[in-house]
Amino acid sequence: MLIEILQQTINGLAIGGVYVLIALGLTTVFGILGIAHFAHGSVSMFGGYLTFFLVTSQGLPVLVAIPIALVVGFLLGLLIEIIAYRPVRDANHINAFIVALGLTMMVEGINLQMFGHEQVVIPTGLSRVFRLGGVTVPELRIYVIIAAIVLVAAMMLFVERTKTGQAIRAVAENRDAAILMGVNVKSIPLIVFGISTSLGVAAGIMVGALFAIAPGIGEGFVVKGFAVLILGGLGSFPGAILGGTVLGITESIAAGFISSAYKDVIAFVVMILVLLIRPQGLLGRSP
Amino acid sequence: MFNRVKTGALAALAMALATTSACAAEKKLTIGVADALTGGGAVYGLPQANAVRMAADEINAAGGIKVGSDTYKIDVIAYDDKANPTEATNAVRKLIDRDGVKYILGFCCSGSTSAVASFIGNENAVMLVGNAAERSITTKKIPNLVRTRPPADFTGQAAGTFIARKGQKRIAVIGALDVGFYAQYVDSVERELKKVGSEIIAREVFTLRDRDMTPQLTKIRALNPDAILVVGYVESAAFVYRQAVELGMVIPRYGFTSGSEEQFLRVTTSEQMEGVWDLRPTELDLLSASKNGIAYHANYSKKYNASPSPSSPYAYDQLYVLKAAIEASGTVDDTAAVAKAIRALAIPSQVVMQYQPVDGKMFDVNGQAYTANGAFQWQKGKWVFVEELPSDAKAYSVFLSTLN
Repeated sequence: MLIEILQQTINGLAIGGVYVLIALGLTTVFGILGIAHFAHGSVSMFGGYLTFFLVTSQGLPVLVAIPIALVVGFLLGLLIEIIAYRPVRDANHINAFIVALGLTMMVEGINLQMFGHEQVVIPTGLSRVFRLGGVTVPELRIYVIIAAIVLVAAMMLFVERTKTGQAIRAVAENRDAAILMGVNVKSIPLIVFGISTSLGVAAGIMVGALFAIAPGIGEGFVVKGFAVLILGGLGSFPGAILGGTVLGITESIAAGFISSAYKDVIAFVVMILVLLIRPQGLLGRSP
Repeated sequence: MFNRVKTGALAALAMALATTSACAAEKKLTIGVADALTGGGAVYGLPQANAVRMAADEINAAGGIKVGSDTYKIDVIAYDDKANPTEATNAVRKLIDRDGVKYILGFCCSGSTSAVASFIGNENAVMLVGNAAERSITTKKIPNLVRTRPPADFTGQAAGTFIARKGQKRIAVIGALDVGFYAQYVDSVERELKKVGSEIIAREVFTLRDRDMTPQLTKIRALNPDAILVVGYVESAAFVYRQAVELGMVIPRYGFTSGSEEQFLRVTTSEQMEGVWDLRPTELDLLSASKNGIAYHANYSKKYNASPSPSSPYAYDQLYVLKAAIEASGTVDDTAAVAKAIRALAIPSQVVMQYQPVDGKMFDVNGQAYTANGAFQWQKGKWVFVEELPSDAKAYSVFLSTLN
């Protein structure tokens, strides 16, 4: 039994890492700009598709393709902010909401046109399996977990320890006060979208390597990302990390010990239960 | 006066000639395809749509369909039903109502096909079902519906006998068991296992969108089964095979998927697939294929730059069935006559699948065709046909006739 619990926990950690990255991207945009960026899942999948293309069609090693995809992701984030969200920044929230929905359909369509309708798996060549006692861990999952930890740590360091990070937090706390303190608030949304999209692309690459990328997959991940956001506490970075990990492990344990048929339902039931006790989420601030 | 009569006669003759020429002129017969061209079902649906187009090109190149003095060239319109019942209903309604199509082919997936089957009986159209394996599609006695693929439990019975013979006592099942025909396949397997004292010890479910099966496999691993049986779409099954190896499960793996090597290798490696059994209708396999099958494989690969999926000839065969029936009935307009002619057909010489005739006909009274079933094993990067599984089409047809 103990081995099974450990195995399910490790199974859940890898997918939890993906949820964390998706949720961090979403929480950055939502917490700072107040935009529910629904296209985040589709953009993430674009990153996965791009990596697949670079590896399989261009013959690049996966370790070269990944940084390229992350940089392209960052630039794509800038583009999204400038073209899609900047024109409606000062308009009613419903405008940004509609833009987000339209953008989702647009990015999905672009993915379909550029990369086709077929499911793709990013070839990594990592097929070793490690055995510790009765627990088995595929090499790829170890790298995914490590990569997620590194990215999350880098993100936290950036936000907590750099001037730009401080400026982002200042805008998130109080935009008007940030302006008065001399923060260049025009550049903040750009940076936020760039970082958020890069994180999403990293998640897309992980999904593509661990599982597969296919049209429509991004929607499921963005729903889970928002669930994590709510579970962890809106706008909270530590909350997104904890929420994503909890959701990944809960799904895995629920599928293993209750029923795989209700995997998603059980995860969302846990989310609702947490919110009944802590309406602000696990690490969210009380209003 | 004479001149006027002569001119009139000449004009009438010219008109008559023109009319005759127009009548004998080449006509167009539009065939509809409703199939999953995107999404999870596309691994079956897209190759089916391709197969119909290829058959149409071949028929057109060979002169078309001959009905009396007319020759019909085939035009194919394909709509994506995304393997979704609502989309399939919309696609077929569009084909019938807007495009005026009377013959609809394709139909890879059971949910979407069942939705269309529920109303097609009231339409002036003929529906030819391909890969969709849900049994109830041909139990409703719909006169204008036939299916080229045998129902899943026809294959499940043969698969169960095969697994039972292998001597494994405790089998764990993992699959898309919320899909009716997969559950029917497993039920048939279980009946055969029970006959020799074997049992199914777990039924774990995944949905068609799932890609991470490790929670279910971890649970199965803890039960220590002698073998696993995987029933589901190719992609989901490929993940199960891959993740079972990643979890260190070194036990026989049986499956019911009908995927090509190419489709599996998009998800898993050949090493991870080594030894896997696929217990399915014989379908297209180069080691067991007829001359038609070998030619089909070569032509399809050349035309689409990809190997055909094993189940894709179900749709290819549909068009040759339709051609034969239209030519036999001598009409393209009277769909009832064409539907009747389909059921009276012997197996056309051009078909790829190896059908088992019932009373000398390709389709039984239920509109159901049967192919042989086979055991295929993954060996060194490809599916190898190992043996034919004993299957009694006649007996199954009698059983099918008793169902509603």
